[in-house]
Order: sequence, then structure tokens, then C-alpha cells
Amino acid sequence: MAGFRNVAQWASASDAGRVHMTTFRKAVASAATAANDFVDYTYFAGNPPANFYASAPLEAAYVESIRGINIPNIAGQFLKSITVMSAAASATTTSNQNQRLLLADYLLYYPFVDTDAVGEQQDMIQTVSLPRYIGGAGVQMMAVGQSASSAVGQFTVTYTNLEGVPGRVSQNTFTKVIGGGGTIVSSSNNAVTGSHPFIGLQAGDTGVQSVESVNFTAAGGGLMAIVLVKPLFNFYSTQECRRTTSGNLESYGAASQFETVIHRNTVEIKQGAVLGVVGLGNAGSLASSVLVGTLETTWGA
Amino acid sequence: MGFSSQDELISSITTDGQIDSIVYQKTTPAAGLAGHWQHALSGVGSIPAATFSGAEATFVPTDNTWSEGAIPVGDQTDPITKHILSMGVSMVGAAGAPWFILPIDLVGYAKLTTTNVSTTGAKTITMTPIGSTAANVDRYPEGEGLRMFVASYATMGANAPTMQVTYTNSAGTAGKTTQAGIVSTASATSGILLNSGNAANKVGPFLNLAAGDTGVKDIQTLTWGGTAHASGSVFIGLCKPLCMPIPVPATGLYNMVDFVNTLPSMPRLRNGANVQFLIFATGATTSGATFYTNFDYGWN
Repeated sequence: MAGFRNVAQWASASDAGRVHMTTFRKAVASAATAANDFVDYTYFAGNPPANFYASAPLEAAYVESIRGINIPNIAGQFLKSITVMSAAASATTTSNQNQRLLLADYLLYYPFVDTDAVGEQQDMIQTVSLPRYIGGAGVQMMAVGQSASSAVGQFTVTYTNLEGVPGRVSQNTFTKVIGGGGTIVSSSNNAVTGSHPFIGLQAGDTGVQSVESVNFTAAGGGLMAIVLVKPLFNFYSTQECRRTTSGNLESYGAASQFETVIHRNTVEIKQGAVLGVVGLGNAGSLASSVLVGTLETTWGA
Repeated sequence: MGFSSQDELISSITTDGQIDSIVYQKTTPAAGLAGHWQHALSGVGSIPAATFSGAEATFVPTDNTWSEGAIPVGDQTDPITKHILSMGVSMVGAAGAPWFILPIDLVGYAKLTTTNVSTTGAKTITMTPIGSTAANVDRYPEGEGLRMFVASYATMGANAPTMQVTYTNSAGTAGKTTQAGIVSTASATSGILLNSGNAANKVGPFLNLAAGDTGVKDIQTLTWGGTAHASGSVFIGLCKPLCMPIPVPATGLYNMVDFVNTLPSMPRLRNGANVQFLIFATGATTSGATFYTNFDYGWN
């Protein structure tokens, strides 16, 4: 399938049925998350169903396609639009407002890394290789908590980079105390207080092909998965959606719509992509809030 | 013909009066389910509640003269083209927010009741394939751009069988199938799109066509698998989504989309368009919600 040569082709694709629209709805678990921590929405229940990274420990595995936002399994597909709203956990909750969101293609993961294994090199098992972005250009690593985490740990990841060079070592990265699985447990690379969704790579590297091992130098008190993702599209959700139930009854809420080509550049979604959303709530806990959205893709003739 | 410029649009709607406004209101027929899409066809409101008459398992074409409840959108016969210029929506309902509202053109439906619902297996649909004539049913030639959903129009009984539709795509290839393994919703209320939902093996609002297919020309069978619904009445809806789903963040809020300036898509209302609405509810409602919309359309 071809791409698009001009705006007219882009616009006519909808009339020709070369468009797919779906909804998604993900409810964050009830365990509190901290302000400015990132969460991996794929981990939470809803549609698509929860993705717990549950497979053999330390073995590379693909995220099942049913865990991703529903899109056609075709080549030459592009993002057309995303619209999102965040439903508050209660009539008075405001802590789910102002979320920074990222649409990503979930490529590969290594589950159940023991964050208490200080001084022990945890070697990964390469049962499958990186799909879709074969060289690993732009592919990043996330450390997603698979349990509550009780301490501030420190670790590095040894990986093979975009150029195929093995033995590359990530920045020293802190883990956080988190209340449950689904929170991205790593901090920004140089302090436990910072937040960044990805593990800092060795200077000069711009992508990851595979993970070789993880080494903890301070115990984190939990379990985590190293997940390789390709970041695709940044967007955000503004005001939480709710209605008060006492006093002056008032409705609050906003929808954030992002139409590619008109508002922003589009991005290709490769055949077989497993789409998920990473989010950061900067106003407080996202516990029991619901992220709901529509996502449209389109493709050429 | 459409509009070749902003000047022509302005002249058409101000000098020639080629613009009309529609106001529409419905109450959903029953409480909504969290994470499901609903239709308002069988709800009461400014157009009648549809009863889905017609023969069992037989495709019934609908247009804007549909006696069971259609918005009277413009002249059906003139060789003009009609386009939505703006649309606003609002919902009032307990605990269902936030919502998405999707306008569709319902080309037709095929209903299934009694043993066509309470037993599994392939249920054959009688349908004259969509062609490329000037007839209203062919307003999307060869079914290009059409999508399908399976919805309840009565309370469904227990159990959630799988569903799969066999169809002819818009290229004329028969025997194509929608995604396997999609499950219905047990004990759904009336008005629920049964293929949608808040769990695994649910897709919404439409059934996934076979990879690469862009439309539906003919519906051949609906196959129920697993354990059949204990009872219920459903229909397969065949429709064209008209534009982006319009979000409603909270009860009572009104959201309007300008299709001329901010999102210049100006969705076309083809001759005979039967404009209806699908509603996505994030939360469950405890009673039927009220849905309001208005839209302007111009023609040239």
C-alpha cells in the first residue's frame, strides 16, 4: 500500500473507506500513583485488556496484539487523529488533570527483573528478536513496575545499540517507591526525584536492539519489566471530567483532540504494531481514573 | 457539486439560502453499559422510536424517508451535494460521562430475533447487494466506506456468544469475514452495540473487517458461536461513519465542531442520508440518558 502524495489523497481516503476508528478505555488500578510519575496504561484493565507482562522471567517476549489498541493489521497505515478525555475517580477528584501522554508501539519486553538482586547480573534470554524496527532506530527502554516497590534502588542495563554494538551500558538509574504494578519505576537517570519514561542510554546511542542484562547496585524491593517501545506521538489530556454531587452542581471536563496533518505531522504505524499509551499525571494520583479516547488511522490506495 | 471556494459557500448560504439546521433529541432506550457503544434508534425523542419492522434476517434499506424515524435531510433527488458545516452535541445522564458521539448514515439493517438469537450457528441474511445505481440504497456505490455493527433493540438474555459476519467487500469478493472471536455482551440492555465493550475480544464501534477491506457490499451471514444468548433481539447495522466522534466531557456540557474552518472536512450527506447517532459511554448510566444535537448543512 502506498502513502499519500498530497492533501487531496489524504482527505479522500475517508470517503473511500480507507480509515479505521476505534475507542479505547483504560482504568488505572486503585493503588495510588505519585504526582509526576509515569504510568503504563497498557498495564490496566479495560479495552484493550490489561497487559501484565506475564511470561517466563527474563525471556524476551512480544506483547500480544490483543493488548494493543485495535487497529487493522495492514502496511502503510498512518495516524489520523487521537481524541482523549480523562474521567475522574470521583466527583471531587482533580488529580488526573493535565496528563502528558505518549502513544507508543510496544515491541518487546523482558519480564520479572528482580530489583532486589544486588550484585547479581540478571542475564536476559533472547528467545525472540526486535520486530518492526529491526535496527532499533529510536527504540527506547522503559522499566515498568510489576509489583509494588518498597525502596529506592539503582541499576544499569547492558544492551545492544542501534549500530549492533553489544555491551553498551545505560546511565545509572534510580527506582522509586511505588504502590503497585503499572507505574514506570525508573526515575530520571540521576536522581530519584526526577521523572522520565525512558532509561538513559549510553552517551551517543539513539536506539536499542536488545537487552543483555540488568545489574542492581541498590535494592528496589520489587519486580519490573524492561520494555522496548518506539515512541510515536506526544499528546495530552487537560481538565479531568467529573460532575460535583453537592453544593452548586457543576460539570467539569475537557477533551483534547489531535488531528494529524492539520495540527501536527502524522506518523507511520507499522504493520502489526501494538499501540499503547504512557501517561504522566502531574497533579497527583491517577488511581481509579479512566483514560478514554478514540484513535483513527488511515492508509493510501 | 460542492463548494469550490469560501466565497461560493458564503454566497450559497447567504444569497441563495442553501442552508438548513437540524435539531434532534433522543433518550437512550435503557441504561448504558460502561465502555460500550449505544444507539438511540429505539429511544423516544424528536423522531419516533424505531421498531425495526421488516422480515426476519432480511436487509431493510433505510433513507431519510424511513417511516420509523429519520431526520428529513434535504432534497433527495437534486444533483447537488449536501455537506455538514458544523455539529454540536450534548448529553445529560447520570454517571455515564465522558461520552463520544458519532454521527452515521444508516444505510440499512437486518434484524434477528427468537431462534436466530437463541441458537448458535450461521444465520443467513437475505440482501440485494449494494450496487452503483442512483437508488438511495446505493448511495455509497458498491458499499465503499460502509461498516457494520451488531446491536440489541431489546434486553438480551444471559450468555455471550461469539459473533462473526460473512460479507462481500466493496471490491466484490464474497466470503470475507469480520474478526473472529469477538464476543457479545450477556444480559445487555436495549440499544447496546454488542460487539463493543470494556474487555478482551471487544471492538467498537464497528466490527473489524478483513485486513485491507474498505467497505461492505453484501451481508451474507451472522454466525453465533459458543453458548447462545438465552433470548433477545438484535440487528446488524450497515452504515457510513460521517465524521470524527465528537467528545462530551461531562453531563450537560455542549461541544461543537466547525467542519469548515477548524476541521475542513465538510462531511457529505449523500442523497437519502439517514443520519443517526452512536454514543460511547465511559461509565455505566443508571437510567436512559438524553442526547441532544444540532447541525447545519449547506448545499450547492
